[in-house]
Amino acid sequence: MLFDTHVHLGSWPFAFLPEFTAPQLAAYLKDRGISRAAVSPLAAVLAPDPMPANRALLAAVSRTPALLPVLTVNPALAHWHEQLDLCANTPLRALKLYPNFHNYRLDARRFAPFFAEVAARKLRVLIGVRLEDERHRYFALRMKGVPAKQLAAFLKQQPDLHPLLLGLYLGELREIAKRASNFSADTSCIETMRSAEILAKEFPRRIVFGSHTPFFNTHASAEKLIAARLSTKARIAFARANAEHFFGL
Amino acid sequence: MRAIDIHTHPVFFGTGHSRREANRFAAYGLQHGVERMIILGDVLAFGRSPNAKQLVIINNQTADLVRWRPDYYTGFCALNPTLGERAVMREVERCVGGLGFRGLKLEITNNARDACMKPLMRAAEQWGVPVLQHTWSMTNIHQRSYHSDPEDTALLARRFPNVQVIMAHLTGCGYRGVLAAKGIDNLVVDTSGAFPEAGILDYALEHLGADHIVYGSDLPIRESSVTIGRTVDTVKNAADSEKILHGNTRRILKL
Repeated sequence: MLFDTHVHLGSWPFAFLPEFTAPQLAAYLKDRGISRAAVSPLAAVLAPDPMPANRALLAAVSRTPALLPVLTVNPALAHWHEQLDLCANTPLRALKLYPNFHNYRLDARRFAPFFAEVAARKLRVLIGVRLEDERHRYFALRMKGVPAKQLAAFLKQQPDLHPLLLGLYLGELREIAKRASNFSADTSCIETMRSAEILAKEFPRRIVFGSHTPFFNTHASAEKLIAARLSTKARIAFARANAEHFFGL
Repeated sequence: MRAIDIHTHPVFFGTGHSRREANRFAAYGLQHGVERMIILGDVLAFGRSPNAKQLVIINNQTADLVRWRPDYYTGFCALNPTLGERAVMREVERCVGGLGFRGLKLEITNNARDACMKPLMRAAEQWGVPVLQHTWSMTNIHQRSYHSDPEDTALLARRFPNVQVIMAHLTGCGYRGVLAAKGIDNLVVDTSGAFPEAGILDYALEHLGADHIVYGSDLPIRESSVTIGRTVDTVKNAADSEKILHGNTRRILKL
């Protein structure tokens, strides 16, 4: 069974994506070989304050143990302490950042106190690099994925932080890996022929499974690993062990 | 599960043109249940607008793969309509008439609306072969002078109702593209390209029907496990799935 690090709950106004309640989502994922998933609230991406969506997610998954909430934090807002308080009380003690949607640079100096607090509280950080293919998404969403250069600079600036980067392309992953080693990445947007075999060779301990449900078809994302010719060790690492290590499970 | 992949590039930016690599590529497909691949050529190897000599190189590479593995590969002829009627007719005759290619492939040399398409479409009709047109939504990609939007490819199919047109890249065409393709008998959309986005194949199935969708991957940029995975997970009706995965392509190409 898979541990999925990249799942969202909620609706998205720019595409006809499948919508689920929390129990429906857990059952849907289980049918596709996913036993546990780190789930974030989609409404928090576009909302002016992520907290209502975060609270709604916590309520929604409270009786669905397979769905582990990862709350969205916007460090550019004045109440970031309050946002971190909420994250610290979740099972994974993790938070997700969307620098492009929330209009800030990760390496901006003004966030030094924020990341110091994250480190002090030993919270895990997930970074949403992109949600959609920039080539054909809704025309008015003009921001691009978080640039690899910015991510690399941020990782060098925060050597004790080890974030999970969600939605990297293979080229971006390779570019960042040349300049930093303190990060993990998910499989969702890494696609080329035999991608899992390539990742097993190049990044055996860095890669975790991410389906990017509901943006991507979950079964298709899972098949990338399931149908790949991997050693047992690599298969287990990508399917769950690397993710469990990242989340300290 | 059986599939015919209508959109592949075993030779890709110069790699893959050897018997060994052709066999390896075929073995990969067979591993995932793909029983035949339609190969479209290394269409961007010389940039977006190859000349006649460069097209011969591209198409000869395709012919080599077909010759090495006739049981597995079916070739399409890469063309550049902007080279003019004589050049187009000569290459179509060489590739379809001489080498046994089963379709014509158009990339981004020009927009599908352009007048230079007329001789090519007449050749397709004359030889009884389909035209596969690279297509992507140009809403965010501002290249419409040489890059076809789904509205352009749909117009091409309407202008030439006796030619079977294959609009490539369902996900890149998007919801607007599906609506543009709706109601055109001689048009099918292939599922190749882009990530396995949810929602769009369901939408195409609802609006176009299974008879107007064909499975494609865009290997080696994409993965068979992922592209087939989206199809089988989305298309629950067995008869529809059979049409999309191989039946429609078999019918169009008379395989």
